[in-house]
Amino acid sequence: MGEFKVHRVRFFNYVPSGIRCVAYNNQSNRLAVSRTDGTVEIYNLSANYFQEKFFPGHESRATEALCWAKGQRLFSAGLNGEIIEYDLQALNIKYTMDAFGGPIWSMAVSPHGSQLLVGCEDGSVKLFQITPDKIQFERNFDRQKRSTVQKMLVDRQYMGVSKRKCIIWGVAFLSDGTVISVDSAGKVQFWDSATGTLVKNHLIANADVQSIAVSDQEDSFVVGTAEGTVFHFQLVSVTSNSSEKQWVRTKPFQHHTHDVRAVAHSPTALISGGTDTHLVIRPLMEKVEVKNYDAALRKITFPHRRLISCSKKRQLLLFQFTHHLELWRLGSTVATGKNGDTLPLSKNADHLLHLKTKGPENIICSCISPCGSWIAYSTTSRFFLYRLNYEHDNISLQRVSKMPAFLRSALQILFSEDSAKLFVASNQGSLHIIRLLEGSFKHLHTFQPQSGTVESMCLLAVSPDGNWLAASGTSAGVHVYNIKSLKLHCTVPSYNFPVTALAIAPNTNNLVIAHSDQQVFEYSIPDKQYTEWSRTIQKQGFHYLWLQRDTPITHISFHPKRPMHILLHDAYMFCIIDKSLPLPNDKTLFYNPLPPTNESDVIRRRTAHAFKISKIYKPLLFMDLLDERTLVAVERPLDDIIAQLPPPIKKKKFGT
Amino acid sequence: MVQLRPRASRTPASAMVDEGQPASEEEEGAEHGLLLGQPSSGAAAEPLEEDDDEDGDDGDDELDDEAPEELTFASAQAEAREEERRVRESVRRDKTLLKEKRKRREELFIEQKKRKLLPEDVLEKLTAAGQTDIKKASGKLKEANLKKKSGEDYEKGGDSKNTKEKVQKIQSVGQNKSYLAVRLKDQDLRDSRQQAAKAFIQKSLYGPGTNRTTVNKFLSLENKRLPVKKAAVQFLNNAWGTQRKQNAKRFKRRWMVRKMKTPK
Repeated sequence: MGEFKVHRVRFFNYVPSGIRCVAYNNQSNRLAVSRTDGTVEIYNLSANYFQEKFFPGHESRATEALCWAKGQRLFSAGLNGEIIEYDLQALNIKYTMDAFGGPIWSMAVSPHGSQLLVGCEDGSVKLFQITPDKIQFERNFDRQKRSTVQKMLVDRQYMGVSKRKCIIWGVAFLSDGTVISVDSAGKVQFWDSATGTLVKNHLIANADVQSIAVSDQEDSFVVGTAEGTVFHFQLVSVTSNSSEKQWVRTKPFQHHTHDVRAVAHSPTALISGGTDTHLVIRPLMEKVEVKNYDAALRKITFPHRRLISCSKKRQLLLFQFTHHLELWRLGSTVATGKNGDTLPLSKNADHLLHLKTKGPENIICSCISPCGSWIAYSTTSRFFLYRLNYEHDNISLQRVSKMPAFLRSALQILFSEDSAKLFVASNQGSLHIIRLLEGSFKHLHTFQPQSGTVESMCLLAVSPDGNWLAASGTSAGVHVYNIKSLKLHCTVPSYNFPVTALAIAPNTNNLVIAHSDQQVFEYSIPDKQYTEWSRTIQKQGFHYLWLQRDTPITHISFHPKRPMHILLHDAYMFCIIDKSLPLPNDKTLFYNPLPPTNESDVIRRRTAHAFKISKIYKPLLFMDLLDERTLVAVERPLDDIIAQLPPPIKKKKFGT
Repeated sequence: MVQLRPRASRTPASAMVDEGQPASEEEEGAEHGLLLGQPSSGAAAEPLEEDDDEDGDDGDDELDDEAPEELTFASAQAEAREEERRVRESVRRDKTLLKEKRKRREELFIEQKKRKLLPEDVLEKLTAAGQTDIKKASGKLKEANLKKKSGEDYEKGGDSKNTKEKVQKIQSVGQNKSYLAVRLKDQDLRDSRQQAAKAFIQKSLYGPGTNRTTVNKFLSLENKRLPVKKAAVQFLNNAWGTQRKQNAKRFKRRWMVRKMKTPK
């Protein structure tokens, strides 16, 4: 494999925002997650829990409620008093409707999915009719008249109990007339709506119980507490033969460290998310039919997209945050050592630039050119392009003004290898090619999407010789365009799992595609067919340990001098695939230890296979090959993230 | 010839031509070198007397036989009249200038007032649209709102408002529906309510009465229960005494510089 010097970078201060609301859609098995910075992410639970779409956030949006309506429509309502509908095809906001009632605290959809109810600050509950295009205001209920039949109304109210005001964080209304409320005193209370009396009271925590979600069959529900515990309540019969049932607290789960502010109940799993930014999906063992690896706990912590771009020539890293960008130059060392040594830095890493974005919108994507002279980033309404000049050790920035309006809301930005062209994938499905000149630009061409589809292109890859551009959307196959003739060259057949990473190899022009189910394909662009190696490995199948990895592959790169090597990484490992070595079958030892030279040749030959995996650097956010002998690995230890979260509830443990 | 003393009635007349005259008289006197400075005295008479005296003195000193100069009454009257006329004209000029200035200023004010109000047709249109009275913000504020609205990617038109009966807020649509004028008061109200709601959540989750601890303490709980007790996760407080450390650094630098200088 070769010896590499590895730049181990830990100064990327990435802190994800906490999860505020979670909504599960049964028909498509998708989960919508809304975070405190206003971002809404859509996870496809059947595609290995991959985040396939996201809507960038906005500072003024403080989402308090999220729900799915009939026909895959997603609505959110927040403290700015507006109801927002999201367009899942074009990946933008369809419209916002002001409810004129002040901050909206809760929202619910009627069971047949055609009506929307919002609970507002001024005490009124407003009913909206969902029409094919928009929502229309229908009625306004005053505080007293809430007895009209609404199922599953989640609301917030005050109730004066004991010394401190007890806030009810969630309410669920079952079809048999039971009302379940969870409040800040740590109680789960069952009320009878006909008589208005308390039926049962469960004290389950010392802190607030902040969220509740009921399953569709109404025989189980889940609550989340501020201590990070998630409790599962089930309706079980009193004795094994009787028909009388009662609610019993069955299972506690402690997967979070901070408040669990949102829970959802899918038919087979409990989903919870909170201030500690993890999204935890816990399949329930009794509901899962096949007990295989799919029934294991899934914890999604790290982003499924790349937030870091690298300029190899100047050894620069560009970090993308929600409202600013940071440019760092890597340190250097003159020492040498042997395998496993830590070399001292002769020159420390340099924080060159801190670029803040104007306006309340979040940054969607960013990129730095390979030569390091151009930085581009995009928000929902604007596109920014900057020219960098380096004189000795100083750096100066110049903004290129009057960017065209069609470049805004870009989902992916990529520079060509010679930094002369800029490729932008917009969320309307079109691809723009811009030629970069000294201090200005010229729009070369736009590839429009195929007629009839509004497919947003999420990932881009360009070949190092500048001839080919590959773009993948959310559902159709990967399109390959010829840049010189500005035409569509071919389309890789679509696969039913979304693409997580794309790259084109330097000389052979092989397109390597990684999917969310951990399949890796290699497609030869000049030949317009899959390569031999790809067919072989598809026939044999990947090793079961490879397929059982949790996190998607986010970046693929190549060695300039070794065409048989593919370097890829996910959050917990990085791997060099050597296509010349034999493929492993299920019986081979997959995770090889470091090849020590004193091992006998026989053993080495038996365990040698194509996948060389290293788990030294984890959790990895980014890994790339800078030149032939240097790698850069950007790590983000989980403790560093937790150290910057809001304060958790105090836990008293014996002995401390 | 006998020099007649000018009548006393003349001087009060000249003094009463205008209020501003004394000042102008004095000015003129200063300008033209005439001794007209004293308003109430016999202004026209005195120089003659002085001239006479001077001439008389000179004459007495040098030549006795030279007769004093004769100044006819007519000439003196003519001179006095000239002066009066000049003064009166200057006063008139001043008055007219001031009047013009005042007129111009008033016109300017009227124009500014007119500019503030919208043109007639727009007002008619708005009242015809059946919406309640509008308090128009100035042009700058409108632009600021526009920027805000466009930045949030709104697609509001007039129709979505008209469907709601309960519209109290006023959103008026421009002639070509390319901008949206919003009452600033409403935006402030909305912002304040949003802030109040956020503050409520913050207070109920993290305010007094909640049982919260720092992240450091939370992560160090495990360390405390190990068989071999370890220190807390964040043991050092690097933010302690930053000002003192800065002062010390500065002092050290200055001291070093002083030390370098003194051997020389």
